Amino acid sequence: MSSELINLTLRVWRQSGPDSPGQFDNYQLNGVSTHMSFLEMLDVLNEQLIESGQESVAFDHDCREGICGTCSLMINGQAHGPDTATTTCQLHMRRFNDGDTVTIEPWRATAFPIVKDLVVDRSAFDRIISSGGYVSVNTGNAPDGNAIPVAGSQQEVAMDAAACIGCGACVAACKNASAMLFVSAKVSQLAILPQGQQERSERVVSMVSQMDDEGFGSCTNTSECEAACPAEISVSNIARLNREYLRASLCGRD
Amino acid sequence: MIRICCTSVGQKVLMALTGLALCGFLATHLSGNLLLFAGEEAFNTYAENLHSMGVLLKAAEVGLLATFLAHLGLAVSTTAMSRRARSRQYDEKESKQGVFALPGGGASNWMLLTGLGIGAFLVLHLVDLKFKMRPDLVYPTDGGAYATVNTVLSSPVSFAAYGVALILLGIHLSHGVRSALQSLGVSHSKWNKLIEIGSMLFAWAIALGFICVLGWVVLSS
Ligand code: FES
Repeated sequence: MSSELINLTLRVWRQSGPDSPGQFDNYQLNGVSTHMSFLEMLDVLNEQLIESGQESVAFDHDCREGICGTCSLMINGQAHGPDTATTTCQLHMRRFNDGDTVTIEPWRATAFPIVKDLVVDRSAFDRIISSGGYVSVNTGNAPDGNAIPVAGSQQEVAMDAAACIGCGACVAACKNASAMLFVSAKVSQLAILPQGQQERSERVVSMVSQMDDEGFGSCTNTSECEAACPAEISVSNIARLNREYLRASLCGRD
Repeated sequence: MIRICCTSVGQKVLMALTGLALCGFLATHLSGNLLLFAGEEAFNTYAENLHSMGVLLKAAEVGLLATFLAHLGLAVSTTAMSRRARSRQYDEKESKQGVFALPGGGASNWMLLTGLGIGAFLVLHLVDLKFKMRPDLVYPTDGGAYATVNTVLSSPVSFAAYGVALILLGIHLSHGVRSALQSLGVSHSKWNKLIEIGSMLFAWAIALGFICVLGWVVLSS
């Protein structure tokens, strides 16, 4: 496929620190190859900025292959850009046209405070995980692979939930900045498997309470999170979380 | 149990339960109203029987009011939680869910406003038919409930207000019923399509049912 070069106007959110006000700055970027990924395009922008003596744009990235969940940009009003089941690092510039203006904002949520420019602090997710998103096991020899039988269908459902990369697009896309899709995936992946049964009730209760403490919103069941999720986590996990929570509240030991 | 009332998930569960309870009331109310089609006598007998229930009816009314107020209170509380969760809005925000029938997204984005609209209508409806205190109307002295309903609904003001409120109700329920079931954890890959269609049918059957009653009364008077 032949490469095409396009010219873009970038409207980028610039904010020098957590407490500074921040504003949109416009940058003209010419000759962007349509083969580039979105992040490569930002690299080119940063080189251009550095060459002209300006400060580069801070943005999060790590694996650049859609598995770590570090990249996180609101591109033209959409979490991870216009494609479905795609992270920002997997988005290609061929999705844009010559002359386009591209607006780039950070995730906006009270629970994800802005660190700098497009970088937000997502440690709220880590705290939710440490409040219960684990199984306690005694260390020792690795158990035999087939010692605990798990039905194939259960494996599939648990694996689908475990596909969550914790990028926060669900929070970013939700009109309520709710973290229900993330928490539900993390609760589901363990609630379905035999290894997760021991702590099943405490897990869901403490993860929900940590989610509320972090200041995420409540779920209106709009399914915007599911549509935005690069890992295609289904809102049926949210229904499962609700069931798990009810079960723990009504029947669980306190 | 008490914990449920304070967490986001618990509040949505209670919201769902109160919402579904109100749906149950709507279905009962509509089935009573459908007797208007059966004529004056049938409707008046039904109304008299209902009112002869005395203390039971009073208890039901108090229960309904409490359910309604709880639903409203939970809506305010969860909305406030969500407002706090995003202090600065996006400059640009698009949906990935394709096209919506309503401007500004699906019915889910209109729950508070449609709900408040329905609440305001409820006040009018009670003034109209329970307290019979609409200043612009002359209430009939005989002819029972049938005559009163006819008098109230044949006023153009009522017709417009009731019509708008019922459309708001349809929109509210078109998201509300499905959403309530999801909040209660009702979801299964095999049944979700059916649940979705069933919820939508229920929502519009209720709204259109009332609209038919309204239209019938206005046309036949
Ligand atoms: S950088 Fe790892 S998912 Fe995008």
